[in-house]
Amino acid sequence: MNQAIKERDYFTDHDVLLDPYAYFEEMRPRGPVCQLETHDCLLVTGFDECVEVLRNPTDFSSLNSLASSAFPLPFTPEGSDISAQLEQNRDKYIGGDMVVTYDDTRHTNIRALISLMFTPSRLKANEAFMREYAEKMVSDVVARGRCELVHEIATPYVTMVIADLMGVPAEDRSVFEEKIAEGQTVGSIDDPDSPTDMSAVLFIAEYMGRYLQERAAKPGADLLSELATASYPDGTKPDLIELISLATFMFAAGQDTSAKLLANAMRYVVDEPGLQQQLREDRKLIPFLLEEVLRLEGSSKATHRLARRDTTIGDTKVPAGTQVIVALAAANRDPRRWGEDANEFKLKRPGIKQHIGFGRGSHTCAGAPLARAEVATMFNTFFDRTDNIEISASHHGAKGARRYEFEPSFIIRGMDNLHLELQAKN
Amino acid sequence: MAHIYLTDTEGREATIDIIAGNSLMQTITDAGFDDLLAICGGMCSCATCHVYIDEGQLAQLSQMNEDEQELLSLSDYQQDNSRLSCQLRMSDALDGLRVTIAPAD
Ligand code: HEM
Ligand code: FES
Repeated sequence: MNQAIKERDYFTDHDVLLDPYAYFEEMRPRGPVCQLETHDCLLVTGFDECVEVLRNPTDFSSLNSLASSAFPLPFTPEGSDISAQLEQNRDKYIGGDMVVTYDDTRHTNIRALISLMFTPSRLKANEAFMREYAEKMVSDVVARGRCELVHEIATPYVTMVIADLMGVPAEDRSVFEEKIAEGQTVGSIDDPDSPTDMSAVLFIAEYMGRYLQERAAKPGADLLSELATASYPDGTKPDLIELISLATFMFAAGQDTSAKLLANAMRYVVDEPGLQQQLREDRKLIPFLLEEVLRLEGSSKATHRLARRDTTIGDTKVPAGTQVIVALAAANRDPRRWGEDANEFKLKRPGIKQHIGFGRGSHTCAGAPLARAEVATMFNTFFDRTDNIEISASHHGAKGARRYEFEPSFIIRGMDNLHLELQAKN
Repeated sequence: MAHIYLTDTEGREATIDIIAGNSLMQTITDAGFDDLLAICGGMCSCATCHVYIDEGQLAQLSQMNEDEQELLSLSDYQQDNSRLSCQLRMSDALDGLRVTIAPAD
């Protein structure tokens, strides 16, 4: 029956952008793994099936994780194992020189460096700075009684936090901010031929190269120094070019996603009946809020994989060369995994930590601990400084009939802006 | 080739080849053992890659850092031979390591 409905284009349709969840529910009856009509690729909406793909880096390459599954392969796949062909064509892929697209040993090596970056002890050491900076930003807007959360708070905040952790000199930070603000989103639905523009990334890479050389000569206590002096597990030293790529990606990857998570979560805090009060009274619930929002409105809707060997997903046969949309947002609402109330907000949902809002397996988001800490710090600061937070009805309509604009991306799920009214603490 | 002996939470046993440089967590998940959740992907922040190491072989492993100790101390299933498998790098010298996946908290 559902087959009769004309399939919408996940990569370009503006209605899908407004409500990707409705699109995924339209597609779910076609099975947890289905072939799209609009593009030559598979769409995986089932939770178990998404986890299966993400945990199988042997058969599934990450080469197209940034480029997406919307484009045909730049070569003709030959045989049951196309791993060598993939590597020969790596330079044709957007982001093919970034950690998120790496496979095998090259990825394991970089991942070993990453795993030192946001350890609990490092985040704890950075807590005071994160808190102080949040206080400063929030007290300014509370004094005014209102703010636009995404541009005035969330984005500059996450930029400042990662810049500070990495050790980006204070005088360069505003240059980066401007450059990032200029660039288009990743995975733009409005530019189907070239959805991901790397100009801001290349710009930042130049600076990172300079910093890394400076820190190698004179290390400090920051992440860039740590990278500049790190070794791979086998004791060899990474090339400068690998370090530049990693530092740049770390800086860029956490900008939009973390900022959007704060805004996505704020919607629930304000509009779920009783939730704001409950969280104000018991701050220990904030981590549960974040996990449930990451499940329901995680800021990455999907990632992509490319089968490099003949393989399977569940019972579905998948030949080498097949591209796969791993629909994180659909898996996170799969009723087979989460029950019939999968679309509802439920604090402390059983098994919530297993959502795949940060992905799973070898490429699991490296910045997840930082993202969680940033957003939790912001909520604590807002709750300390205000008695009540409201969503501006003049900008977004009344409760129950809110209107939001979303970043036009097939990767990111998040609002372009969120206007709030803030009642200062008495 | 050097290998480890793994027992999963249901008592199933397997012999898995070691790829030097990979973490023990990767060694186990790449072999398809789903009951090692490894939710944080090796960032030492979830403790869902908890394993027990054969007592006699513990000394062959790298020391625990504070983060690993702290995370393990929060587990209901912590034992003297507990480790987080994402914090252990494999090498041929670990040939014959006996590892059991700990129950999930
Ligand atoms: C709420 C905020 C965030 C969300 C929802 C998110 C989501 C994701 C997802 C889904 C992946 C996996 C991609 C794949 O498997 O193909 C990923 C990878 C990654 N993320 Fe995040 N991310 C967030 C914040 C951050 C932050 C703050 C940073 C860094 C400061 C960061 C750095 C990375 C890196 C380096 C990777 C690549 C890891 C690898 O390939 O091994 N992310 N992220
Ligand atoms: S995988 Fe999370 S602590 Fe090891």
